[in-house]
Amino acid sequence: MVFQPVTRELKKGSAELLVLSLVENRARHGYEIAKLIETRSGGSLSFQVASLYPLLYRLEGRGWIDGHWVEKAGQRRKRYYRITAVGRKVLAAQRANWREFVEAIRLITENEYA
Amino acid sequence: MPEWKQVIRERFASAKLDAESESAIIEELAQHLDELYQDLRASGHTDEECRVLVLEELREETLLANIRSSVGRRRRAETLAIRPGTRGYVPAMNHNLKVAFRNLRTKQLFSLLVIGLLAIGIGGNAVVFSVFNSLFWHALPFSESERLVDIDETAPQWNLEYVGVSNADLYRWRKDSTSFVSMAFYRGMNFNLIMTGAAQRVEGVQVSREMLDVLGLKPLLGRNFSSEEDRPGGAKVVLLNYGFWQQNFQNDRQVLGRIIKLDEEPYAIIGVLPKEAMFPDRAKLWIPLAADPNVASGYYVSAVGRLKPGVSIAQAQADLLRIHKAMIPEHRVNEITSPVVTALRERFVGNLKTAGFVLLGAVGLVLLIACVNIAALIMVRSAFRAREMAIRAAIGATQRQIVAQLLTENLVLAFIGGITGVTVAEGCLRAVIPAIATRVPGWVKFSLDIRFAVFCIAITAASALLFGLAPSLDAARVDIRRALADAAARTTPSRVQRVTLAGLVVSEIALAFALSVSAGLLVQAFRKVLEVDPGFRPENVVTFRVALPESSYSGPEQPIAYFQTLLTQIRALPGVESAGITSAPPLGGHWGGVYEAEGVSRGHESENPTVLQIAASSGYFEAMGMTLLAGRVFNEHDAQPNVPVVALVNESFAKHFWQEENPIGKRIRRPGRGSPLFNSWYEVVGLLRDEKHDGLDQKATPAVFLPFAKVVAAADKNDARALNEISVTVRSSTEPKMLIGPMRSHMQELDAEVPMYQAKTMVEQIDRSLWTRRVYSWLFSSFAIVAILLSAAGVYGTVSYGVGQRTHEIGIRMAIGARPSQVMLEVLRGGMALVLIGAAAGFMGALLATRVLRTLLFGVSPRDPMIYLTILAGILLIGMLANLVPARRAANIDPMRALHFQ
Repeated sequence: MVFQPVTRELKKGSAELLVLSLVENRARHGYEIAKLIETRSGGSLSFQVASLYPLLYRLEGRGWIDGHWVEKAGQRRKRYYRITAVGRKVLAAQRANWREFVEAIRLITENEYA
Repeated sequence: MPEWKQVIRERFASAKLDAESESAIIEELAQHLDELYQDLRASGHTDEECRVLVLEELREETLLANIRSSVGRRRRAETLAIRPGTRGYVPAMNHNLKVAFRNLRTKQLFSLLVIGLLAIGIGGNAVVFSVFNSLFWHALPFSESERLVDIDETAPQWNLEYVGVSNADLYRWRKDSTSFVSMAFYRGMNFNLIMTGAAQRVEGVQVSREMLDVLGLKPLLGRNFSSEEDRPGGAKVVLLNYGFWQQNFQNDRQVLGRIIKLDEEPYAIIGVLPKEAMFPDRAKLWIPLAADPNVASGYYVSAVGRLKPGVSIAQAQADLLRIHKAMIPEHRVNEITSPVVTALRERFVGNLKTAGFVLLGAVGLVLLIACVNIAALIMVRSAFRAREMAIRAAIGATQRQIVAQLLTENLVLAFIGGITGVTVAEGCLRAVIPAIATRVPGWVKFSLDIRFAVFCIAITAASALLFGLAPSLDAARVDIRRALADAAARTTPSRVQRVTLAGLVVSEIALAFALSVSAGLLVQAFRKVLEVDPGFRPENVVTFRVALPESSYSGPEQPIAYFQTLLTQIRALPGVESAGITSAPPLGGHWGGVYEAEGVSRGHESENPTVLQIAASSGYFEAMGMTLLAGRVFNEHDAQPNVPVVALVNESFAKHFWQEENPIGKRIRRPGRGSPLFNSWYEVVGLLRDEKHDGLDQKATPAVFLPFAKVVAAADKNDARALNEISVTVRSSTEPKMLIGPMRSHMQELDAEVPMYQAKTMVEQIDRSLWTRRVYSWLFSSFAIVAILLSAAGVYGTVSYGVGQRTHEIGIRMAIGARPSQVMLEVLRGGMALVLIGAAAGFMGALLATRVLRTLLFGVSPRDPMIYLTILAGILLIGMLANLVPARRAANIDPMRALHFQ
């Protein structure tokens, strides 16, 4: 097994999954996404600007999310991201994979004690 | 609140983003930082603390690169409108290549194995195909060469496939035929040439003046023969071949008009031939044929013609046949002979065609086996990597990406293997060309066929892809839970995979079996040829040729005296056991006629075979080691002028005329008119064992031997041609080549203008005559060995894979009491089942395939049971060895470790 790329892909894959999940039901802007990840994970996951935005742009580049500027009265305009149809499919697949992966890890780790 | 935009802009100064994206990004990031700052402030941090914490967000060193690459990607995605779901082909490709090369390095054994297999498969195929292609398909170096044909006469009733063309026929054909643009006649003729120092023997040709027209060429310098020169009694002129001109005259353009002495007669150089004038083969000098249409002649010239556009070979032949048969009233012999028109190439290299096709088939099989093996290896490996792929899939790699990755790896392997193969092929070809080139006409040019090499690479790559694809797809949609967690995933590879693998291995073994049987048969045939009794003893015999120029050796006395002196001197050399001369030693030429025996009804002329007529001196039979079955050989007395001519015959001759009767004392003669050699009775004084005159793998022909001195004394002009080149045969008690030097110096002393040429041992000549057979038998065997090794590797790989897959299961079974020997037997049984099925299929295949070989087998039955059994035993043994290693591994499985093994 090639270990290094796996951890890299693991981190990348999970980050993608997080972002896609957060924009699945409503459009959100970058700060909101970062904040939600941090609060919902109880502070154990956090994204810095330096890694969040490159990820957003990358997902946008792949056509999984769609960013657009929204102006509201009395506020500065903000860039909101929402999931695309392709993104939804990817999300569904990744979710399923992730569940199986977690289940797999569970089986293996429990096996050790069996 | 700080002005974040300025801070961010400074960081991006070197990013070289376009203005629009830069300002949008800066705006977005600045907003993010604003909001963060406000939140931090709200939670009670000081301004300064907030500022530091916010700047911390931008600290990551890769920010710039990350932004740039992701923005770059976004822009590319927008402008190129690549379908969503792909990352853009170029970076993905780079990544895949990187991973592929890394895997190549980490899985060295596997990679080397695949590359090696490919190199063998592709290299071997490229070499054999290139040679084949050059021999049979490449255009000849003449314009519209497909219209060039060889024209000859055939006389099956004389036992001769080709007899040559006679004067009468050639002139009539040329006059009356409507199928040819032009027709030229030629016959090979060698000359003693004196340029500087010692005389040398030069290969030349007499040609009719149409030759250049037929070939579609013009002289490089000077002019062609005029019709006056190409006529009996015409001026003595010569055209130089390009290489000869270069070598002897250093490209001197002033060469025209100079005189060279050929066989001591002066010839004026009137032109230089272009490089392309490579036909007739190896002729360095052309002189006019100057045939006389009014003089009847034997069948002594060869002919080449250029067909009119649109005329087929069959039409041309029918055209000539019509003319030929119309001549029957004046030429009764035309009832027996008939013209044959053959494509030029076919005539000269056609004899190699069967061997060529068979080799091509063999090497194709090797390629097929290599492909199958690669496919099996890749399948096995893909299955091993199912876990890796499952993990990739689990963490977000798409099916496309996984397949692309695996395919890239296979393509990289195929590509490297292909390049190696082509390099190997180039090297091999370079090594074999010199060996081949001396045995085929000079106008056949050999070169590596790059298109074919590319084709080979393409089909191996295709097979790698095809067979790599199925497991890759499997891996990509692998059941992740099972692959990762469930040991069952390792014990039960998919049924399709198992069946495919087994099928691949079985077909590999079958192919290897069929190939090995074919190789075995060919080698057996070759051994049989080597064991043939040649009718003479070639060991310790050396022969060389001498051609006495007609101008200084015109009468019969001079040549007789010359050879008598020469033989006396040679016999006096230390180590010489016996020496003699002959007009045609074995493998050394043909001169024939029709004979009749006294008291044996002659029958129709067509029933008499052409008899090999050989002039020989006393001492020749001892020197050549021929076996005397009855009577005696020639002695010095037989050469005396006033004694009657006596003859020796061989077994075939005696059998034809007298069946089992003793031929000694019977009389034979050669019907005909002209020289005293015709129509007079010769008493048969000896019976010789048949000699394989035309090669060990050829039939023996009836032969008559006459005393050399008698033949020379009585020879007419036609016979004199056969006596032009005489072979001296010497048997020595030591290494015969040691004698060449001393004999040459004797010849120098005797007459410096008579060169010794073609000095070779008899063993060398036999070797050379068997060269083609040797080469294809040898090549075939090496292909078969490669095939067996490949299929053994296939068996080993597959069975090892099976054992690896079943480690867990075997562990359980051993834990509950199975003995190692049981496990080992079971694995062996499974593996040997594959071998047996493959061998059975190969057996059937070989029975069919070896039919093709029939013509090459020299009497060995294509169903020779010994060969089949030997190969069967060999394949089973090797199959057993290939199975033994994984079987032992299975038997040595430690149940505890196996059960822990995921």
